[in-house]
Amino acid sequence: MLTALILVPIIGAILIGFLPTPEGSNLPRKAALAIAIGLFFYSFWLLTQLDLSQSGVQFTEYLTWAKPIGLNYTLGVDGLALPLVVLNGLLTWVAIYSTREKIHRPRLYYSLVLLVNAGVTGAFVAQNLLLFILFYELELIPVYFLIAIWGGAKSQYAATKFLLYTAVSGILILAAFLGIAWLCGASSFDLATISTEDLSQKSQLILLSLLLVGFGIKIPLVPLHTWQPDAYVESAPSVAILLGGILAKLGVYGLLRFGLELFPETWHLVSPGLAITGSVTVIYGALSAIAQKDIKRMVAYSSIGHMGYILVAAAASTELSVLGGVAQAISHGLILALLFELVGIVEDKVGTRELDVLNGLMNPVRGLPLVSALLITAGMASAGIPGLVGFAAEFLVFQGSFSIFPICTLLCIFASGLTAVYFVILLNRTCFGKLDNKLAYYPRVVRSEQIPALVLTAIIMVLGIHPTWLVRWIEPTTDAIAQSFHKPKIVAISQPNLIASFGSDLDR
Amino acid sequence: MTHFFSQTIWLVPCYALIGAVLAIPWSPGLIRRTGPRPAGYISIFMTLLAFAHSLLALREIWHQAPEYLSFSWLHAAGLNITLDLEVSAVTVGAAAGIAGLNLLAQIYAVAYLEMDWGWARFYSLIALFEAGMCLLALCNSLFFSYVVLEILTLGTYLIVGMWYNQPLVVTGARDAFLTKRVGDLVLLMAVVALLPIAGTWNFTELAQWAQTAQLEPRVATLLTLALVAGPVAKCAQFPLHLWLDEAMEGPYPATILRNTVVVETGAWVLIKLQPVIALSPVASQVVIWIGAVTAIGASLISIAQIDIKRVLSYLVSAYMGLVFVAVGTGQTQTALMFLFTYTIAMALLVMSTGGIVLNNISQNLTHYGGLWSRRPISGICLLVGAGSLVALPPLGGFWALVQMGDFLWKNQPLLFGVLLAVNGLSAFSLARLFGSMFGGKPTAMTVRSPEGLWLLVMPMMVLMGLALHVPLLLLQWQLLPDWSQIDRTVVFLLVFLTIDGLALGSLIYLNEGWKKPVRFGPQFLQDFFAYDLYTAKLYKVTIVFFVGIVSQAVYWFDRFIVDGVVNLVGLATVFGGQSLRYNISGQTQFYVLSILLGISLFLFAIVFPLFNLSF
Repeated sequence: MLTALILVPIIGAILIGFLPTPEGSNLPRKAALAIAIGLFFYSFWLLTQLDLSQSGVQFTEYLTWAKPIGLNYTLGVDGLALPLVVLNGLLTWVAIYSTREKIHRPRLYYSLVLLVNAGVTGAFVAQNLLLFILFYELELIPVYFLIAIWGGAKSQYAATKFLLYTAVSGILILAAFLGIAWLCGASSFDLATISTEDLSQKSQLILLSLLLVGFGIKIPLVPLHTWQPDAYVESAPSVAILLGGILAKLGVYGLLRFGLELFPETWHLVSPGLAITGSVTVIYGALSAIAQKDIKRMVAYSSIGHMGYILVAAAASTELSVLGGVAQAISHGLILALLFELVGIVEDKVGTRELDVLNGLMNPVRGLPLVSALLITAGMASAGIPGLVGFAAEFLVFQGSFSIFPICTLLCIFASGLTAVYFVILLNRTCFGKLDNKLAYYPRVVRSEQIPALVLTAIIMVLGIHPTWLVRWIEPTTDAIAQSFHKPKIVAISQPNLIASFGSDLDR
Repeated sequence: MTHFFSQTIWLVPCYALIGAVLAIPWSPGLIRRTGPRPAGYISIFMTLLAFAHSLLALREIWHQAPEYLSFSWLHAAGLNITLDLEVSAVTVGAAAGIAGLNLLAQIYAVAYLEMDWGWARFYSLIALFEAGMCLLALCNSLFFSYVVLEILTLGTYLIVGMWYNQPLVVTGARDAFLTKRVGDLVLLMAVVALLPIAGTWNFTELAQWAQTAQLEPRVATLLTLALVAGPVAKCAQFPLHLWLDEAMEGPYPATILRNTVVVETGAWVLIKLQPVIALSPVASQVVIWIGAVTAIGASLISIAQIDIKRVLSYLVSAYMGLVFVAVGTGQTQTALMFLFTYTIAMALLVMSTGGIVLNNISQNLTHYGGLWSRRPISGICLLVGAGSLVALPPLGGFWALVQMGDFLWKNQPLLFGVLLAVNGLSAFSLARLFGSMFGGKPTAMTVRSPEGLWLLVMPMMVLMGLALHVPLLLLQWQLLPDWSQIDRTVVFLLVFLTIDGLALGSLIYLNEGWKKPVRFGPQFLQDFFAYDLYTAKLYKVTIVFFVGIVSQAVYWFDRFIVDGVVNLVGLATVFGGQSLRYNISGQTQFYVLSILLGISLFLFAIVFPLFNLSF
């Protein structure tokens, strides 16, 4: 079942890429859209089939592949991976839909987007470390081309930077995985067969640090983030949606799946440092965003800030905070996609992203009123106004992390005030103000261009008003993760009881 | 007796919310054919429904014990968030009051915004406000109170920014949003911190918990101060008061609500939290003194304003300051009664001036004069509103002020002095307002000034009737203070100060012989109050400057240090300075790829034998 999620986009990419189509035909776009919608609905159907009473991996598939090196084709999903897969399907659809129809080299473009989708899905569903790395690297190459070929003026620079960073990230993770399997003496790279309990703390720490740096680049965390604003800003809006909305989530996923789940004991050691890094990231991202003059770059920095919350949540690793962290990953994906989508429309119609030039887009006659309204919603969702999904996720993070890292949590709340500052700057400059009637002859935004933004807004609102529909899928898995993390402590507390009960047994 | 309406009281906020959603499609660009009017009519109809429902529920719940409703919102990972509602005479009465006032304001807006193209937006937002405030009135949970306050913060941003193409409106909306957000976020910190300590967000349970809670003083102080921060921002108290002044750039019908029920959301939450705040003596003192300083300062500033709306807006801050004093000294019942009388008086004041501003196109007091012959109805309404606000027997405000004054006189005489001063200064300020507008000879701006459309006058008259009946209502509800217990000195002093203020104000501003503009003390002092204690400048050189500088510094650091190092390393080592230029040939791309591929393979090759051995 899961194989289909990977194979369909790959086959689709091959077909779109190699089958000849007449010049100027819309066929590749339609085919890609159909595949993306199909994938989204299929993964959503899988979500509804997920057995919420158990926390483990479901829909597993197993194929022995390269036994000597321990690489097996092991797939499976749980409440951590499947919602992200669904998000991947949705954002792929959004990205394809919001691509301009007159794009150059359409066949290459659409097949690359589908390849990214396949790679990301593969990484989410892989239950074998080497298989994960394979997909993790597979997604990298199409993204590189997507940035480089369809990007802005400095896209070559941004793409190279992205490639370098992510490749280093891949190498570090690969090294860590090899180390894990090797030191643990596991028979294969299958996640289920690996247990790090017997490793010395020192080697655990080294391996975990490799993973943290590796995934930290992907998330990205300060100070490993400098590839991110360039890559987001220079790529086309649709590619930025993929990059920020879903690729960054690979980092979060890896951090929780391979960091927290594989090294629960060592996680205790690094968690204070992680929490501090997280809150620094949050504040750093927010402050840098305030200083921006380019709305896309502002959104890019805001994304850095919002990923910091997830790190704080992961560091605290209570049941609530991990749940909040995953929810935040999804809500961030939705909100960021919406923001990039709208910024893309503004840039496309008005022809600039400069805050000092933009003005008065709320104007109902000459401006972009609906886009402005949605932009306000998106900005407020990102700033954490209740009733929108951002608040629900952030609140879970705050409430969950507060008992473990109170100061870091308060700093995060403080930073969400800074979030409001830059979004108000953005909205006041772009949506409010007086439209210059001499210059304002913008092309109309046609209804079809608004559809992805409307869909995303609807999801953001519905999940914000009724967050249960978001958290119910995630909760069983994150509960299990957090419980296994706290197990050593619980055992330590309950040991006297155990001994006592043993004693009473002996007495009998 | 069936309890159908009180059991379905949650519908009251829903009506308004439905109205808000239904009004949106008439925004420009969606439905064009009908014009925007239906948006307003839908919203008014839904408000009427909400008003009727809450009145019927009020009849059911009258003299009954409070009922509690609870709806689960989110149940995850051990956290159970429920939407608790309290259905009692007070809460349902508050919801009815909010819906009723909204109804009047919306009818008023039909005339006031007759030619405005932002109808749908306005009605949608005002209905959102109604929904939020009705929910807040009924809500018995701190968490949802926070949620509502935060949503209303966004609502304030949008409704103040209604006429967004004017620069002052844009800055006003920004400042209102950010100031309120600061308060909200500190409140959020307290909300998050309170749960592990108290284990509940339910106000009733919090009050019980507070009776027995043993908190470390430092924790208690920090926690309660954080709880107070939300109301401080909402009620426009020092030092977060500037937003209300700037929010006056928004449309007048919204001001009817903003000056009354919207700012009272903060006071309402403060009253609900009073048992928790009482945990910390420091916090109680802070509440009292923030309130007292704001009350005196804002009433002085009010006198120095020449903008009609700003004269009133600073009186709002001043009266909310008195509510803070009342809550800080533990008089929550008095505070509620005070809010009731205040709401009607202030709404009437705003309505009566609004109609005048509409067709004289000026908010500048110095442009006015001689309106009494032109608009007696508005004049009478303004007088009734003014009389109801200050301690002028037998109108409503008198009874609330006497009750508060009596308590303060017996317990905290210094605060009674504050109350007296605020009452006197407010009376003077209102007399000044009335005198400047209605006294003297008509000016160029006021020569032609007929009473407005009936839609403007009717809500105003209804409200005036209500204001005149407030004492009877209080009598009916047995809320009038027990006359035998009241110290006569208090009554005498309050009334004396009121009459003093009114008389002095009238003497100066109704008297054409008195030279205008009037000078009080040296120029710098007058400027000090006229420019709102230079708060705007203070913000500019402190917090705004600080955030600006820090963000610039962080961004500089990011560009030139963090990224600079990366680029330097990249230039020096990996590419020998070739490929980081902005355009590179296709060949180099593959070169990069092959390098990376090579590195990966190489690493794999090194590790592979080692790995194989471990089998």
